[in-house]
Amino acid sequence: MSLGSSDGPAIETHGIRRVFESRKGFLFREKTRTEALKGVDLTVERGSIFGLLGPNGAGKTTLTKILSTLLLPTDGTALVLGHDVTKETDWLRPRMGLVLGGERGLYNRISGRDNLRYFADLYGVPTSEREARIGELLERVGLTGAGDRRVEEYSRGMKQKLHIARGILHRPQILFLDEPTIGLDPKSARETRKLIRSLVADGVTIFLTTHYMFEAEELCPKLAILSKGRIVARDTVDALRSLVGGDRTIELEAYGFEDREVESLRALPGVSKIVTEEFGPMTRLTLRIRTYETTADQVRAALPGQPELGVRERRTSLEDVYLDLVDEEVA
Amino acid sequence: MSDAAPAFAYSRHRSTYTSLRLSFLLFMADPQWLIPSMIAPVIFGLVSFELFRGYGSYYLTYAILGAGMMSMWGQTLYGSGWATGQDREFGTLEPTIQAPTPYLFVVLGRVIWNVVSGLIGGAIVYLVVVAIAGGPPALPNPVAFVVLFVFVMLTLAAVGVVFAAFYVYTRYAGFIQNIGEFAFYVGTGCMFPVVLLPFWTNPVALFFPPTWALDALRYASIPGYVGFSWGFWPDVVGAIATTSIYLVLAGSLFHRVERHVLESGSLDQY
Repeated sequence: MSLGSSDGPAIETHGIRRVFESRKGFLFREKTRTEALKGVDLTVERGSIFGLLGPNGAGKTTLTKILSTLLLPTDGTALVLGHDVTKETDWLRPRMGLVLGGERGLYNRISGRDNLRYFADLYGVPTSEREARIGELLERVGLTGAGDRRVEEYSRGMKQKLHIARGILHRPQILFLDEPTIGLDPKSARETRKLIRSLVADGVTIFLTTHYMFEAEELCPKLAILSKGRIVARDTVDALRSLVGGDRTIELEAYGFEDREVESLRALPGVSKIVTEEFGPMTRLTLRIRTYETTADQVRAALPGQPELGVRERRTSLEDVYLDLVDEEVA
Repeated sequence: MSDAAPAFAYSRHRSTYTSLRLSFLLFMADPQWLIPSMIAPVIFGLVSFELFRGYGSYYLTYAILGAGMMSMWGQTLYGSGWATGQDREFGTLEPTIQAPTPYLFVVLGRVIWNVVSGLIGGAIVYLVVVAIAGGPPALPNPVAFVVLFVFVMLTLAAVGVVFAAFYVYTRYAGFIQNIGEFAFYVGTGCMFPVVLLPFWTNPVALFFPPTWALDALRYASIPGYVGFSWGFWPDVVGAIATTSIYLVLAGSLFHRVERHVLESGSLDQY
């Protein structure tokens, strides 16, 4: 057993790399190597929700599986609750929960309740507590009336809820949630987010991967953005906003902008970045603004030759941050 | 919340029990299982009776043993490996491996269910053959017959546990098992005694616990039987020894295989 202490970080990784090798072709002679993670350093505090954002193929699930002891890293070290995920699985597994979600991962021909009974027994939930615990969880995830129905009759959202119930059956100290609200209707997704918040209130550390920016913004005090196997940013949402050039965004739309117009916008106080996008005949300029020195009216005034200019001012969203950072990484 | 102790502590025997219970529930939930477990033994019994008719005064015993082994083979040995293959297919292998219970104890539960289901198949074969023949076979020692029948089942189960490890190792285990199934089935003397096979196959057969156990069963059930071994007790000792080796091998294999799949990242492939 390592010297992990109960007041250290919940997760600490140093230089995690993961290379997948696969073989294909005639007699599997063609070998391909994919580097899914290229040296991930991460620290997650205890008792919080940490969000990991990233596009498809960024390595989110790979990192989740390494941290939850389902995959070994090629290089680097990862400590969860102060214990090495590669060597101390016996210590870690009873203390961690994992929700991979999706259509698979459940026994479809038996009831949701029997699925939970099976996993409760594997985790050693005492028989005397088991039924009460399952009943409590089915109610908590909103499946009380469906517990005795076969899982094959469940909608995708119901299966997702069952996955979550299974993940927390054994009262884990840390819970890994891989896209927990994917496939859920808005009401169920909101209930799931409420459930996630309530788990944190119970003292559970949550490591969450998601595609939904508003979900990360709503749930995660701190987050990291993973792109092509690398962490491209990690901090609070506010700090990430300043990282991409400010917490205010002004979007301008018109039938094209001249270079001198763009330069005049760039000269306005507080404008840190201008992103240009073309869509059909229209051009959109997105201005990141650091301070309140420049208002939408001032921007309009800087473009006197654009009478049909569309102007929209809003707070820089996490989605803006995400797209900026991932685009930079791709570039 | 302190991380000093988990909320619950798993128990190996409870994990085995719940795995056995799950196997039963999955069996009951899927009507296709009626074919190998209930219908196939009837067909095996009929075929075997015709095959061995006129094969000496103990043809009924040969018929029961041949058909019984055919039935138990599928149920116990093949079923044990296949249950793990099913976990791969369902995507339940990952959460099961991620649970604190060593997967070997989950597999044991599946194997126990397959032993029970194989015994049911064996009993059906017995009843079918007895019904066609109009009476039970002449058994010198019926108690020894039953005990050794169960013993054969346990040796098959031990091989089944090792097969299950290969299903964890690779998604192609089913393919490999299907290729080797018939050779293994004939080589271990399931349908007819190993001595009827070419001599060079005998040493290979010695590596398989069912070969020894089946030979012991034939020694105990068929007076005058001349098997491949040196008699009843050497067969029993050989069966116990090879079964023990398989169980020790399985314990070691599961540990190594889990390490391998965590390294290769192939746990979610199906």
